[in-house]
Amino acid sequence: MNDFWKRFSRNRSAVLGLLILCLVIFVASIASLIYPGDPFLYSQYPLSKPGENGFLLGSDSIGRDVASGIAHGAKTSLLIGLIATFAAVLIGVIFGALAGYYGGLVDDVLMRVTEVFQTIPSFIFAILLVAIIKPSIESVVIAITVVSWPAVARLVRGEFLALKNREFVQACHTLGMGDYRIMLKEMLPNCLSPIIVIGSLMVATAILIESGLAFLGLGDPNVMSWGFQISDGRSMLRVAWWICTFPGIAILITVLAINLVGEGLNDALNPRLRERN
Amino acid sequence: MKITKFMNAVMMTAAITFGGGAVYAQQSGGSLVFLVQPEPPTMAGYVSTSGPIGLLGPKIYDGLFDYDNDGKMIPVLAESVDMSEDGKTVTFNLRKGVTWHDGEPFTSADVQFTIMDVLKKVHPRGPNSFKEVSSIDTPDAHTVVLNLDNPAPYMLRALSAYESPMVPKHLLEGEDIKSAKLANNPVGTGPFKFTEWKKGQYIRLDKNESYWKEGRPYIDRIVGRFIPDASTRASAMEKGEVLYAAYNAVSNVEAVRLNKEKDNISITTDGYSMINPMALIEFNTKEGPFTDAVVRRAISTAIDRQFMLDTIFFGYGNPATSALSSNFAATGLHAKMPHYPANGDVAAANKMLDDAGYKKDSDGVRMKAMFDLIPYGEDWKRGGQYIQQVLGEIGIQVELRYEDVPTWLKRIYHNYDFEMNLNYFYQLADPVLGVHRHYGTNMIRKGTHFVNSSRYSNAGLDALLGAGMKEPNAESRSAIYLEIQNILARDMPVVNLFELEFLTVYNTKLKGAYGSAMGAYSSFGDAYLEE
Repeated sequence: MNDFWKRFSRNRSAVLGLLILCLVIFVASIASLIYPGDPFLYSQYPLSKPGENGFLLGSDSIGRDVASGIAHGAKTSLLIGLIATFAAVLIGVIFGALAGYYGGLVDDVLMRVTEVFQTIPSFIFAILLVAIIKPSIESVVIAITVVSWPAVARLVRGEFLALKNREFVQACHTLGMGDYRIMLKEMLPNCLSPIIVIGSLMVATAILIESGLAFLGLGDPNVMSWGFQISDGRSMLRVAWWICTFPGIAILITVLAINLVGEGLNDALNPRLRERN
Repeated sequence: MKITKFMNAVMMTAAITFGGGAVYAQQSGGSLVFLVQPEPPTMAGYVSTSGPIGLLGPKIYDGLFDYDNDGKMIPVLAESVDMSEDGKTVTFNLRKGVTWHDGEPFTSADVQFTIMDVLKKVHPRGPNSFKEVSSIDTPDAHTVVLNLDNPAPYMLRALSAYESPMVPKHLLEGEDIKSAKLANNPVGTGPFKFTEWKKGQYIRLDKNESYWKEGRPYIDRIVGRFIPDASTRASAMEKGEVLYAAYNAVSNVEAVRLNKEKDNISITTDGYSMINPMALIEFNTKEGPFTDAVVRRAISTAIDRQFMLDTIFFGYGNPATSALSSNFAATGLHAKMPHYPANGDVAAANKMLDDAGYKKDSDGVRMKAMFDLIPYGEDWKRGGQYIQQVLGEIGIQVELRYEDVPTWLKRIYHNYDFEMNLNYFYQLADPVLGVHRHYGTNMIRKGTHFVNSSRYSNAGLDALLGAGMKEPNAESRSAIYLEIQNILARDMPVVNLFELEFLTVYNTKLKGAYGSAMGAYSSFGDAYLEE
C-alpha cells in the first residue's frame, strides 16, 4: 500500500486531482447540511447576481439558488457516475471473462453481441434509450451502463486471453480447480489494475453523459443535476451568465479531477511503468 | 382616365422621393425573411391548424374575411355578408375577377366545396365551426347561400384565412383530401404564390402579380426560414438576417433584451387576440387522486399565477380569472370567478383540504400524484417545477414526468393514463370555437388531440353549451356563459393558470405586418419594407 501511494504521489497532477475529487465528494456529502431546503425551491428574488440577496452564486429565473443546485447536483452526478460505472464494470467483466476464458463459440457469440452495442455511437444510443424509457434517474443510469460496458468486456477478454495459457492457470487446471474458481480467484485479481483504471475514467464519462442528457432535456425533472442547471440557464446566457457558468465549471473540474486520478492510478498500477523514473 | 393615372404616378413618385404623404409611403419590393418554428409537416392549412402552417398558409390562401383588432370583419374574398332575420340563412357576395394562382377563376363552387367537403370533413375545428350548415346553394358564380339548421353567430368569427382557408375545387375534387398533392404544392388566391420548399432550410413564396387587390402585395418575396436552435434564432434576429419572429420563436428573455439593446428591433403582443392562448392544468376526473373537485379547487387557490408569469414568461400575460379568457369580456362572455387568486393563497388552500378531511401524514403529505408536463421546452418544465413546490406546501407530493411529444399526446389523449397535465389551449375568437371542446361530453373523443381529456361530463353543462352555441341575442348569451363559468369554477375539471401573451419580435424596417387581429397568421398583403 505504501509502495502504491509512493508511486501514485509521484504524479503531482494525480494528487491534485485526488484533492479536488475529495472536495467534490465532501461538498456532495454535506449538501443537505449547508443547503437544507429543496434545491428546486423558488424564491421571490429571480435572476439575482452572484452575491445579491444572499445567493453566493446567484439565482435562476424563478429564484432558485444556483449554489444549492450545484451542491445537490454534485450528489446526483457522483452517484450516477458510480452506480453506472459499477454496473457497467460488472456486466463487462462477466462478458469479457466468459468470452476470454472459454473462447470458441462462446467467445464468438459474446463478442458479436458486444460489437452490436459498440457499433452504435454511444451518446446517441444513450439518448435513444432514455427517450424510449421515460426520462428518470433509473433510465439515465441504465442508458449509461448499456453504452459503457462493451469497453470493459473487450478489455477483460483481452486480459483473460493472455492469462489463460499462463503456467499458474494451467497448474490450477491440473490441481482440478473448477472453472469459476479459476476465473474469480486466480485470473481476475491479475487483471484488476486495468479494470480499476478504465473504471475510474468511466466515472468521468458517465458524469459527462448524464450532463449531456440533462442538457438536452432528457434528465429526470425531479432531480437537480448540473446538466439540468446548464440547460435551464442556456437560453438566458446573455442576460444571466451565472446560471449555467458555475455548474459548467463544476462539471469541468470534476471530470478533470477524475481523469487525473485515473491517470495516476494507471501509473501506479501498471507494472510496465513501475520501473519508469 | 389616362390623365388621372398619369397624375397618380407623378404623385406617387413625388411621395416616394420626398418621403412624405401617408397614402403613398408604402414602398414596393424587397424580400421578407421571417422565422417559421418548427418546420411544418405540410402546407395544408385546411387539414391541420398546426402553428407553423398558420404562419405560411394565409399568405397563399385567402379567407372569406379578415378581422381588425376590434374584431370587425374586413372583406377579403367575400365583399359582404347578409344574415336572415332568423339567423338560419347566411349569404356571402363574392368578389369578382379573383383567380387562383394557376389562372382558373375563383367562384361560388369553390366556397361550397371548401366548406362542405373540406372544412366540415377534415379540418380539426371545421366540424364545430360549420356544424349547423346543412347545405350550400350557389345561385350564381358569385353568390353563396348557407342554409343553417340553427343560428350560428360564432361562425362569422371563423372565416379568416387561417381558420377557414378557401381551397381550389378543381385541384381537390375526387382526390383523397388528407393526402392530396396540394398539401405540398399549395395553390391559393392569396397575395403570395408558393415557389420552393427546401426541406430543413426554408419555404419561399413570390409575389402574386395578379392579386385581386390593386397594388398589393408590396413585398416581392417572402422566405420562411427554419432554425431549430433557439439561440441561433435570436442571433439571426439580432444580425438582421430575419426580420420577423412570432409565437415566441425568439424566447421572451432574448426578445426583451433585443428590444432594449437594439434600436431597430421592437416587440409587440398584438396579433394574438383571435388566438387567445390559455395555460392550464388538465385533471383526470375519472380516476386517481383528483376525482374530488375540492382538491382541484385547492390547487387553483394555491398557485401564484402572477409569480409564474413574472418569472417564467417575463410578465407577458394575465392571470386567469375564470374558465374563459378575459379577452371575451368585450363580447360580455367573461366574468371573474372564485378560486382564481392572482397571487395564490397557500393557507386558504390548506384549509380547504383540511376541511374536506384530507389529513397530512407525519411528512406533511396528504396525497401523491404524477404530474405530466407539456414537452414544449424549458419554460414549461420550469413552470412544472414551480407548481411541484407549491403543491408540496399544501401536502400534495407530485412527481414530474416529461416525455417526448408523441408519447405525451398518446398518454393524455389516447390512453387517459395521467393524473394531472400542464398544457395550453387556444381559446380562439369565440368560446364555441376554442372552449367547448374542453368540457362537452360529446368532446370526450379518444384519440383526438386537445379535446376533453379530463372526461368531465355534466348534462347540465352540456345543455348550457348547446344553448350558448345557438343563442343569437348577446345579453341572453352572456347570461348562459355566466352560468357555464359558475359551474366550471365549482367543478374545475381544468384549472386555468394564465392567459399567455405571445411576443412578436420584428425589425422596425418591416411595416404593416403586425396590425391585423390575426397577426402572424395574416396574409402580409399590406406589409412593406422601408429602407
